[in-house]
Amino acid sequence: MMRYVIIPVVVLIAIVSAGLSQAGYRETFEREFMLSPWSIAKGETSACIQCHTSDNMGPEMHEVTRQWKESWHAKNNISCHDCHGGAPEDASMSMMHQRGFKGSPKDVDIPEFCGTCHIAILDNYLKSGHGETFIATAEGPSCVTCHGSHNIQQASMDIINEQLCSQCHTYERAKEMKQALFMVESKLNTIDKDMKRLKLLGIATERQEKAFFRNHAEFRALFHSIDVDAVRIKSSDYAQKLEIIESEINDSFNKLAMRRNVSAYLFLLFIGLSIVVFLLSKSYEQQ
Amino acid sequence: MWGKIKHWIEVRIGLEELTDRHLRSYKTPKGASFLNTLGFVALIAFIVQVITGIMLLLYYVPHPDHAFQSVQTMTNEIPYGWLFRLIHNIGSNIIIGVIIIHMVHVFLRVSYKRPREVTWISGCLMLFLVLLTSITGQLLPWHQTGFWQTTVTSTIPAFLPIIGEGISSYMRGGEFVTGITLSRYFSFHVVILPVIISGLIGLHVLLVRRQGISTSAIVEPESSKTSHEDFYREAHLKGQPCFPHFSLKRLFMVMLYFSIIFFIMTFWPNLFLPPESNMPANPLMTPETIRPAWYFLAPYQLIKTIPNDLLGISLLVIFSVVLLFWPFFDAKEAERNISRRPMLLSLGLIVLALWAILTIWGMYS
Repeated sequence: MMRYVIIPVVVLIAIVSAGLSQAGYRETFEREFMLSPWSIAKGETSACIQCHTSDNMGPEMHEVTRQWKESWHAKNNISCHDCHGGAPEDASMSMMHQRGFKGSPKDVDIPEFCGTCHIAILDNYLKSGHGETFIATAEGPSCVTCHGSHNIQQASMDIINEQLCSQCHTYERAKEMKQALFMVESKLNTIDKDMKRLKLLGIATERQEKAFFRNHAEFRALFHSIDVDAVRIKSSDYAQKLEIIESEINDSFNKLAMRRNVSAYLFLLFIGLSIVVFLLSKSYEQQ
Repeated sequence: MWGKIKHWIEVRIGLEELTDRHLRSYKTPKGASFLNTLGFVALIAFIVQVITGIMLLLYYVPHPDHAFQSVQTMTNEIPYGWLFRLIHNIGSNIIIGVIIIHMVHVFLRVSYKRPREVTWISGCLMLFLVLLTSITGQLLPWHQTGFWQTTVTSTIPAFLPIIGEGISSYMRGGEFVTGITLSRYFSFHVVILPVIISGLIGLHVLLVRRQGISTSAIVEPESSKTSHEDFYREAHLKGQPCFPHFSLKRLFMVMLYFSIIFFIMTFWPNLFLPPESNMPANPLMTPETIRPAWYFLAPYQLIKTIPNDLLGISLLVIFSVVLLFWPFFDAKEAERNISRRPMLLSLGLIVLALWAILTIWGMYS
C-alpha cells in the first residue's frame, strides 16, 4: 500500500523539479558559484586585467597581460596593482593617483620601482658595477635588462648566459661569477626539490622553508653585487647554513622511512593474525 | 587470583550468564558466510574512527588560523600522531566501502523484506550520515582540498528550488566558507552526527538481535507457517553457537580490515591525501581541479553530465529516497530468492554498473 503513495510522490517531485529547472536556476548557480568572488579571486576581477584584455586595447597591451600571466609574479599572486598601485576593484578609480596609481616607471626610476619589494637586492645592485654604471649614465643595466618587465621568471643561474651578458660586455667575468655560484646554487635547487617532495608527502617543512628563504634571499642579494671575490668567500658560509637545512630534511626522510616500517610491521602482524584466525575458523567448521 | 577476580565480577554482573546468552547460546545460521559479518566490521570501523578521532581531538584547534597548523603539528611533532591521523583518514574511506558492500550484500540476498524494513532504513540512514560525517570532516584540517571541496559541496544544495538556498546558507553559516563554517562542521563532525549514528547503531543492532541474522533463502528457506501479520524471529535452531564459529569469522574480517588499512598506509600513505591537502586553505587560490572523494565521484559526475543542475540533483534526491524506502517499493509477496527474480537482479546490477562507470568517468574527467 505504502508504495502506491510513495511512487506518485516521487514522480511528482521529479516533474515539479524538471519544470522548475527551466526557471533560471542555472543562472542562480552561475551567479552563486561560478562567478562569485571566492571562485574567481585569482585576479580575474581586477579592473586592470579586464580593461587590458578588452577589445579597446591594442595587441601590445594584450601582450603585457599575457606575459604577466606566465610570470613568477602571477604564480605568487603578485598582481598589477602590487607594482603599479591603483584600485583594481574599482574600474572608475583604478588609475587615479589619489588611489595610489603609479603607472609605468621612467627608465631612471626602475631600480627604485622594483626595489620597493626587493629591498636588499636594490642595495647590492646600487653598489655593484651594474648599479654604478646605471647611476652614472641613467642607461646602464637595470632590473628589466636581465629579468624583463612583465614576463619575469623565477631567478636562476641560467639568467647568466653568454647571449644576455655579451649584449653589454664580454662573458668572461660573468662566467667566473657563475662558477663561483655553482655549488650553493645546486644545493639550493636540491633543497628546494626535497622540501617540495616532503610537503607532498605530508611532512611540515615550515621551519626549513623559512631558513631556506632567508638564505636564498641573502644569496640572491649577494649575487647582485657581481663581486666574484665576495661571492667566493661567502659561498662556503651559505653552503654550511644550507647543510643544516639539508640534514633536517634528511631527518624528515628518515622519519618517513620509520613510519613506513611501523606500518609494514602492523600490516604483517594483522595479516598473520588473519591467517591464524582463518585457519582456526576452518578447523571449527570441520568439527 | 584470576578465579577470585572472575568470581567477584560474576557475583556483581553475572558475566557467565551474559556471555552464555550472547555468545554460546546465541545461535547463528550454519550458512552464515564472511559477508554476513560486514555489519560487525562496519561497527568496529566506526569505533576505530571514534577512538582515533578522540586522539586527534586532543590536539586539534577548530579555528581557521590554527586548524591547519594544529593538524600539521599532530602529524609531525606528536609521537605517533601520524599513525592516528592516517588510520582516521584511511579508515574514513574504508568504513564507507564496508557499508556499501554490506548494503549490496543485503540487497542481493533480499534480506530487507518483512520484518527487516526498519533495519534497512536505519542502515541506509547510517550510510547517509557517515557520508555527511565524511563531508564535514574534510573541512576540519583547513587545507586546500577540504576548503574547495566544501565550497563545491555546500553549493550543490543551492540548485534545489525554495529550500536549496537555505540549506547552502545554513551549511556555510553565510555566503562563503569561513570560520563559521568550520565551527559548524566541527560540531556536526565531532558531536551531532556521531551521537545520531550511535543511536541508529543501537537500533540496528537491537533489530538484528530481535529478528535474527538473515541468511540466504537457499540456506534457510522461509517458513510458510507464519502469517505476515505476526512477528517471527529467525532463531536458527539448527544453527551453530555464535562463539566460536561466527565470532571467528567476525574476528577474521576485522583483522582483514586492519590489514587493508595498514597495507594502504605502508604502500600508499597519501592515497586519500592529495598534494593540495598539505597546503593551507587559500580562498584566493582555486586549485586546478576540485574533485570530491571517490564515493562522491558518481553523483558529482552525474550532476556534471546532466546539463540541467536541478534535474541532476533531483535525480540524486529521488535515488536516495527510493534507496531509503526500497523495502516498501519491492513487491510484498515476492520471494526472497533473487535468482528467481531476474528483474530485481538486473536492476541491482545495472545500478551498480552505472555507479562504477560514473565513478571511473568522474576520476578521469
